[in-house]
Amino acid sequence: MTPQVLMDGLVTGSMIGLGAIGVTLTYSILRFANFAHGEFVSWGAYFALAVAGALGAVSGALTAPIAPFSFGWALPVAALVSVALSGGLALLVDALLFGRLRDRRSTVIILVMASFGAALTLRSLLEFIFTSKPAYYTKALQIALPLGGGLRATPDQLLTLGVAAVLVLAVHLLLTRTAIGRSMRAVSENPQLAGVTGIDVRRVIRTVWLLGAGLAAVAGIFAGLLVQIRPQMGLDLLLPLFAAAILGGIGSVPGAMLAGLVVGLAEAVAVPLVGGEWRAAVAFVVLVLVLLFRPQGLFGRAG
Amino acid sequence: MMAALSTHALVAGYERDLPIVRGIDFRVAGGELVVVLGPNGAGKSTFVKAIAGLVPIHSGTASLGGVDITAMPAHEKIRHGLGFVPQTENVFATLSIHDNLLLAADILPPERRKQRIADLYAMFPDLAARPSLRAGQLSGGQRQMLAVARTLVVEPSVLILDEPSAGLSPKIVAEVFARLKAICAGGVAMVLVEQNVKAALAIADRAVVLVEGRVRHEGPAAALAGDPVVAELYLGARRAETVP
Repeated sequence: MTPQVLMDGLVTGSMIGLGAIGVTLTYSILRFANFAHGEFVSWGAYFALAVAGALGAVSGALTAPIAPFSFGWALPVAALVSVALSGGLALLVDALLFGRLRDRRSTVIILVMASFGAALTLRSLLEFIFTSKPAYYTKALQIALPLGGGLRATPDQLLTLGVAAVLVLAVHLLLTRTAIGRSMRAVSENPQLAGVTGIDVRRVIRTVWLLGAGLAAVAGIFAGLLVQIRPQMGLDLLLPLFAAAILGGIGSVPGAMLAGLVVGLAEAVAVPLVGGEWRAAVAFVVLVLVLLFRPQGLFGRAG
Repeated sequence: MMAALSTHALVAGYERDLPIVRGIDFRVAGGELVVVLGPNGAGKSTFVKAIAGLVPIHSGTASLGGVDITAMPAHEKIRHGLGFVPQTENVFATLSIHDNLLLAADILPPERRKQRIADLYAMFPDLAARPSLRAGQLSGGQRQMLAVARTLVVEPSVLILDEPSAGLSPKIVAEVFARLKAICAGGVAMVLVEQNVKAALAIADRAVVLVEGRVRHEGPAAALAGDPVVAELYLGARRAETVP
């Protein structure tokens, strides 16, 4: 095993962590496991692909790589649009499906089953629009830079780690230092009490969707940049996302990110030993071990 | 004199075809303390929860200072001057004392928040001593004080408390009730749902007795306290008071 495994694990883990933040926020505030969350990862990647493609068609200069990265200005601009569009998609799904079920006081299992339906619908829609053929933001090849200690990483990988770190810090500060963050923590603990404290619970729910889907979109864009874009990419990430959210402790943003890195590293360490076809099983094993030995997760409270 | 809070023919309950509150006319004026009494299952908590927006109102109306709040969501009612302290889980246990107060203050204009919280710390010095302590670590009485303080942050014109004495020792109940009486004397209309009949009637101006979701008796608290028939039939007070 080489030290490079560490870098590969961190890069994969940062994408898992970003996606897991949305899962953990949805779970703690809306109180159900949203199995459609992976689709926001895929849709985020495809939104960016479509917008970047459109920008590239308008001006070829926008696709010229920004040194030292493999992509042009079209992608960062498309990423911002994608985050907004993914947030809008999540709000639409909530308005059409989850919000109506909440209003009817549906049970958790109904919401979970509905999220399966939403996932299938969103994924099928992607395949219908973009086909299942893999797509790429760029075909430019990158040389991995030596970082010392036997580690190498491409500029795109380092950017992924940097952006993930900044976003996690930003979300953590949002939750702990701002009024909307306080409101989110309050709704997470007791939605009824939050309402009679003057908090607009619906506004908090909208914020959760925007934040979760936006971060999922960023994860999808980096996954697309570093690997490839496929309609199944969100589904492939779903189990690691849930493993990270539970390992981190439901509701904990730093926990989700740290656990994402743990799951990513576990995958990177295990795959050379057991084979790539068992990658998904690694996250599953992590999930089962956490549920058996520390169900409250790393940062959750017992009981 | 216009009522600070009134309901007219209020029908409410979790299920439309199974109302728990069955047509209640009620009013409380500014500075008045009205205690809502009744046996278990009378609909006392459901009645105040419906006013607060936590239980669906099926028919009838609720008005706050002349504004119709019947269909208003809970958070809007708070912004219109209603304060509600639930019976249980009435503080955010995972948040600090200060964050509990800040949460309520977030709906005030930014320039008023700091001063208002300072006012509440002055009113409840126990809370000011340890603002960073998690609310979940407070004693029952301190929690009740924090819940009341948080509700008072926005200076409500009407304060509703659902069994504030539940789970508290007689000494703490006396302390909490003395605070409530003082707040009421400041002009706040107060509605108190209580099982602790004797203590509640001692501080109330008026009492309303609910039975099976309807008002069965209404009158000055002192008169009700001395009415042996009412006490025996609806409050169980005589039996309770004779227990050594």
